[in-house]
Formats: sequence, structure tokens, C-alpha cells
Amino acid sequence: MQEIRIHGRGGQGVVTLGELLAKSAIKIGKEAQTLPFFGVERRGAAVKAAVRIDDVPIKVRSQSYKPDYLVLLNENLLEIALAGGKADHAAIIVNAEQPLAAEEKQWIVGATSIAIKNNQVVGGEPFVNVPMLGAICRVLGIPFAVLEETLGEQWSGSKLLPNIATAREAYDNVKEVEYKGGPQHG
Amino acid sequence: MSKVFGSGNTACALAVKDADVDFVAAYPITPQTAVAEKIAAYIAEGIMDANYLPVESEHSAASAIAAASAVGARVFTATASQGLLYMHEILHYAAGGRLPMVMANVNRAVNAPWCLYADHQDAVSQRDTGWIHIHTASNQEIYDSILLAFKVTEEVQIPVMVNYDGFLVSHSMMPFETLDENKIKEYLPPFNPSWRLHPQWGGTFGNVTYSEQYVPYRESLTRDVKKAGEVIVRCAKEYQELTGRWHGGYFDVYRLEDASFFLLSMGSMGKEMELAVDLLRKEGIPAAGLRLRVFCPFPKEELSVLLPDGAKLLVFDRNLVYGSAAGVLLQESRAALYERRDDLRITGISVGLGGEDLPAVLLADRARQMIQEVEK
Repeated sequence: MQEIRIHGRGGQGVVTLGELLAKSAIKIGKEAQTLPFFGVERRGAAVKAAVRIDDVPIKVRSQSYKPDYLVLLNENLLEIALAGGKADHAAIIVNAEQPLAAEEKQWIVGATSIAIKNNQVVGGEPFVNVPMLGAICRVLGIPFAVLEETLGEQWSGSKLLPNIATAREAYDNVKEVEYKGGPQHG
Repeated sequence: MSKVFGSGNTACALAVKDADVDFVAAYPITPQTAVAEKIAAYIAEGIMDANYLPVESEHSAASAIAAASAVGARVFTATASQGLLYMHEILHYAAGGRLPMVMANVNRAVNAPWCLYADHQDAVSQRDTGWIHIHTASNQEIYDSILLAFKVTEEVQIPVMVNYDGFLVSHSMMPFETLDENKIKEYLPPFNPSWRLHPQWGGTFGNVTYSEQYVPYRESLTRDVKKAGEVIVRCAKEYQELTGRWHGGYFDVYRLEDASFFLLSMGSMGKEMELAVDLLRKEGIPAAGLRLRVFCPFPKEELSVLLPDGAKLLVFDRNLVYGSAAGVLLQESRAALYERRDDLRITGISVGLGGEDLPAVLLADRARQMIQEVEK
């Protein structure tokens, strides 16, 4: 089983990101489950959701403690995410321009700048969940055509195209990096 | 049949839509809210033909659907926690009145202190209302059990509560399949009540009685609640023949072969328990999982049949009987198995209260502790 724990802030679309990731996994023949954790439901509060992907039906009905991937929608969630536990081999997929000051294997993608560049900003909040979805799918080896199909079921018309564009840009630009010291992030 | 990837609340609302319900009254409460919202949306969008009464409380929701049932409508409500407690008076009324009704209860801790997470205290507190209680553990099982509940309630004329755990199932998205309209019609034909209130037909409902009338009513209710267990199992088998889907009868059993330690639980914990059983089996401990699906009527004889001579029953309660060490399942099990008190060992604990997380490693650990206790 692959377990992914997504960390974001209330209003960033963490639950939707988990749902679209799980739907994409199902399209490639996998079983999938999401388990969001709801604390106080308010904008800006730290929120998280687990996504589980497996070849057999998933029996887990508990929270995620040792995920294979930590997904951070903001780099300042690193401390919270690490405190929540992870597998020893876990990799981080983060919305960041520079590597985080962390020893884990990292994939970075500038989801915020991709969202802004594509005018995916509502109420001053860049929509980072769809570009992050693009990045995760790339890391997990889910073909972009599958992701595009998932997005097409979620949105249509003028809303769909910019979502495909941001997902594509993140899919193509997410990169594996190593932290080599320097300024601290997170 | 269509494949859906959605939450437990979505599975519930879709089943209510597909069951061709006539009347819904509900009051939103966390973690049930999406059920009330989705059904209202289906009706507003015109994809479900039913009357929806947005009431000001759960007491009114239960009262409204009881009244609608008495005039012959297929009815539904959903609630959780304090909402279910607030319905308590009407729950007795509905069961005593032999009104076919289906309710979804999204299991949640009861206040105080305020807590929104999974716990069975709300449901087990309604044990003695005369309702049938079914507990589920997956979104597919919710969808299928709602359809089953309508079939059962209309046959036995006793209201049915379908339970699933708050957040762990209600907000967890899983793949599930719905059922084609023609198959649903075959399984669940339109509701044709044996009696109903009607302005053109004389009659009263729930009138004043003396013990001469009251006692036979009570005796027939307890007799019929007991018999309803067989109806549930039969309807589950009919559903399996129609769809191939099976979640268990009274119990969903796991790895019974050569088992001597039986881990009994309800709800989402019972599904995770299968992983705990796997962990114990790897260590050479002959464990099995018993996920109780039918809490009322409690399947006394069927539980006994599952337990071989010398078996050890380890009970995991997600509720608490105050002043005792554990919960209602332990009490029910001990009462059910009293005749075998010299043969079996039975112990239990309360875990998972207020949504306390129950990963398989924790369940296996608690099982090992209980095994030490019963092996002393």
C-alpha cells in the first residue's frame, strides 16, 4: 500500500486534492481511499488528509502515521507534517521554489507561482491544490492523460482549461532535489 | 449499476434517492450534515421525487417521519449524537407504533464535553427503544444496508437504524457501486403498507390502552424484534443473489479456521480488526475477527454457534457502561453466553471513545493484553 498524507491550510482544497488523486489512482486500476482529518473547520487552520492506494481493497479505518509521501501545500507546514510521523523512507513533495531544510528525499514544485501565472487566484488565494496534484501524479507515475480525465470530470468549460494548464505545468516541472544547506525554509 | 468514488455520507444519500423514498425530514448535525444536504439537493435538482421537510430539530424530524409513515409513505431521516438522543422519545413511539422507518445514524460521541468524533454511545443508548440496529464499516455496505433496511422495515414493521462511524467512514471516500433501477425495483418494490391512516377510513393510532391491550403489544414487539434478525439475514442473502455483494449476516467473520481467540467489535473498528487479526496470526496466535452487524436484536444463539469449546471471546466496545470496566457488547455477550460460563472465557475493554484512533497495531496490542488476562 502507498500512503500519502497531504498537509495544507483550511480553504486550500486539501480534501479535493485527496479526492482527485484517489480518483486518478482508481483509473489506473488501483483501489483507493481518502481519509481527511477535520479539526476546527476554518480558513487558515492546518488541515490534513490521507490518501491510500493499493492493489487490494483497503481495510484501514484509522489515521495516517507512517506515510510514504508527505505533501505540503505550504513549506511552513514542514514541522507539523514531520511531527505527524512518516515512514523511514518517506519523500516530501512540497510547494516550494527552493529545497527545504530537511534530510528527506524531496520533490519541489512552485505551485503558488504556477497558480498565479495562470490566473488561478480567488479572493487573494492562489489555487495550489491542482498544480500539487499534477506534481504528485508525476512522482507516483500516474500518466498525465489519466489526470486530465479526472480533471475533466471535476470541471468543465472555462474552469477546466486553466486547471489542466496548472496541473500540466507542475507535472512537467516538479523536480527531485537535495537540501545542501543554506537559508532555512519552513 | 454505476461506480462511484464518494464518502460514506454520499453512499447513504444515494441509497435513499435510489430507494424511491417519499418523505424525508432531517436536521443537519456534524458528521451527518452532508446526508441532509445531498438529499435536499437531489430533490431540488429534480432527480429525486420526494417531499423534504427542513425541520427545526431532530425531535421534529423523527415526529414528522413517524407521521408520514403512518399515512403510508416510505420515509427516511438521518442524524448523529445529540440529535439521536433528542429523538429518543419518538424512537419508542415509532417502534411501539410498528411504523416502518429507516434512519441513518452517523455514530458520534455524546456531550459533555463536546466531541465530534466516532463513538457508539449515541446508538447503544437507544438499545431498549425497540429499533433494529445495523452497524456498517464501508461505503458499499452503507449503500447496500440502506436498501436492505427499507426491505426489512416494511416487512417486519419495526423501524431500522443503519449506523456508520463519524468521519472514519462518513467522510472517508471509497469506491462503491450503486444498483440499477430495475434491480432495485425487484428487490424493493413500492411500499404497500398493510394498514395506514386515511381520512376516509375510520381508525385511530396510538390510542389510550390498559394493560390488557398494552401487554400484548409489547409482547408482540419483543417477539418480532427477535424474529427480525432472521429477516435481515434472509434479505441480505436475497441481495447477494441479486448483486453478488455480501457483507455478512449477523456477523462479518474473518479467519475463523482453527481460531481460539475471537475479537468482537462493531463498525469501522471491525474492518481494521481484520488487519489486527493478520498481525496476531503472523505471531502464531489463532485469532479471528467477529464484526457484529446486527446489534439489535442481539444474536445470542448465533454468537454461541461461532464459538467452539474453550474459545476465548475478546470484546472491543466503542462505548462505555458507566461504573463498569467496559461496554454494552461485553454485557450482551456475557448474558448471551451465560449457559457456557464454565466453557468459555470472556473479557472486554472500551476503546476508541471520542474518536480515539484505533490502528491495527493498537488493536492487536490490546488483544494481546486481553489474551494474557484470559490465559492466567
